[in-house]
Amino acid sequence: MGLETITQYLPSWVAPTPAFCQIVTGMLVILVMLHVILGGCAYGIMLERKLSAWMQDRVGPNRVGPAGLLQPIADGLKFIMKEEYTPRGADKVLFMIAPTLIMIPAMISFAIVPWGGTLELSQLPFGLAKTLGVEGITVRLAGAVVNVGMIYLLAVASLGVYGVALGGWASNSKFSFLGGLRASAQMISYEIPMGIALLCVVLAAGTLDPMVIVERQQTGSWNLLQQPLAAIIFYTCMLAESNRAPFDLAEAESELVGGYHTEYSSMRFAMFFLAEYFHMITGAAFFSLLFLGGWSVNPIGALLPGLDLPAQGSLVMGLLHVGVMAGKVFLLVAFAMAIRWTLPRFRFDQLMKLAWEGMIPASILLLAGVSVMVYLGLETWMWVASLACLAVIWVVGPMLPKQANPNQRIPMIGSRFSPLRDSTVRTAPTNPVALDDSAIPDPRQGPLSIH
Amino acid sequence: MPSPADIGVISYAPIALLFVMAAVFAAVNIVASALFGPRVESVVKGTAYESGMDPFGSARKRFNVRFYVMAMTFLVFDVEIIFLYPWAVSFAQLEPRSDESLMFLARIGFFVGTSVIAYIYAWRKGVFRWD
Repeated sequence: MGLETITQYLPSWVAPTPAFCQIVTGMLVILVMLHVILGGCAYGIMLERKLSAWMQDRVGPNRVGPAGLLQPIADGLKFIMKEEYTPRGADKVLFMIAPTLIMIPAMISFAIVPWGGTLELSQLPFGLAKTLGVEGITVRLAGAVVNVGMIYLLAVASLGVYGVALGGWASNSKFSFLGGLRASAQMISYEIPMGIALLCVVLAAGTLDPMVIVERQQTGSWNLLQQPLAAIIFYTCMLAESNRAPFDLAEAESELVGGYHTEYSSMRFAMFFLAEYFHMITGAAFFSLLFLGGWSVNPIGALLPGLDLPAQGSLVMGLLHVGVMAGKVFLLVAFAMAIRWTLPRFRFDQLMKLAWEGMIPASILLLAGVSVMVYLGLETWMWVASLACLAVIWVVGPMLPKQANPNQRIPMIGSRFSPLRDSTVRTAPTNPVALDDSAIPDPRQGPLSIH
Repeated sequence: MPSPADIGVISYAPIALLFVMAAVFAAVNIVASALFGPRVESVVKGTAYESGMDPFGSARKRFNVRFYVMAMTFLVFDVEIIFLYPWAVSFAQLEPRSDESLMFLARIGFFVGTSVIAYIYAWRKGVFRWD
């Protein structure tokens, strides 16, 4: 039975039209990339353990399999074999669905990422194009080609808050509750600068289509060079959205034990963990397509034209695109891991201050600058707007009215805790209500007598 | 290269597929560990973890009002950002330095300006102070 005989029994909408080919390609891309990213998450955990070991001069996991490479599989099996326990007083339904509520948004957010350029189906190997009747059709190597484009990222990124907030609330544990509150406050705070930084890129590109944003960067230059301030804001927010260090306040083990997943065990706990890595990988993918030119290898296409991979081509070229993109994602993820093991954690009020009093005004200022540049038609001079915003922040920032600094740093030497040898001056207590040290005898007058 | 507009609502089919796969993955994980894991009940095990102390009271108490105020402020900005996206796309497609373009810029400047006034008010009121 030939292929023509089969196709006549198929429903009428199964036809080699460009739209149908695009949807089938999108589904194949999603099937492949979902498994690639899942594997990437498992080995991302492995990579993080190895990286932290190298940074701390340890060996890291090296027992399971050759060079410890089977460790993620062993971890996964062990998670399944552990008891799934629901503490007393927990809201059983919410406690069960909270991990799925964080896992599903994390998994579906990469759907619109274009992993490669455009594929010419005529160049498929083995004469497949002729057999399937899809000659002359081009498809994008992206999961879903939807008209909302980048807005999809904003829509899905917000959904992750539900899992965190519900997981913390349902556990009936104070640590979980505080962790969930903190995490949701943090995630919604950093969503605003992330949205505005994304808006600056959309405004400069004039489209919501991620594919076109990448192609603009190929012909012009990478947005990292055009809009450095937006890139910094977006990367920082990406770390904060995925609850990564230095913004991992929700699971600050020194104050909140495990944060919102304190009471979780077995695979439910593993899903919170996996979601974090999923967020990190998709965040890196979005960063590389928005600011690092996706599969582009030439940062300055406008100055050095013709040195880039062609945007359209055969399957091999498509795989090369995916390889370049994956390399960028790997570097960004490794960078996030290096940040985690380098920078200390923020304090909660510092975290909120950075978002609300630092990044939101900066991003609104940047938005104004970018809009003026777009009005003037100077899309290729966008970096001037970034630099101008940095200059304004540099000059105007210190002139803003100061609020009383609540966490004043008192030098240890010369304070009442460590007075100078010959000084009789007592520094003022930080809080005159709480500390009245007039009753404390001067230690230099001799040892304290205890009655 | 098919553009999104040519495909129509069926272009969301891959996202639906991904959603189903994600939901199945999450459900299989939960069911698998419920099937294969041991099940041992005990009184002490069921208590909430409070660093070894006997837990007292419920965890679902009243909490700091700042979280509410901040969530309200977040809503204002989030809705505003969503409104800015269609503007950004149509603004970038206008003729640069034209009167229409200037009008677009002025209108959105007013729109963002009102929120900036609200933002400054909230800042001076101490909404963003967490100390």
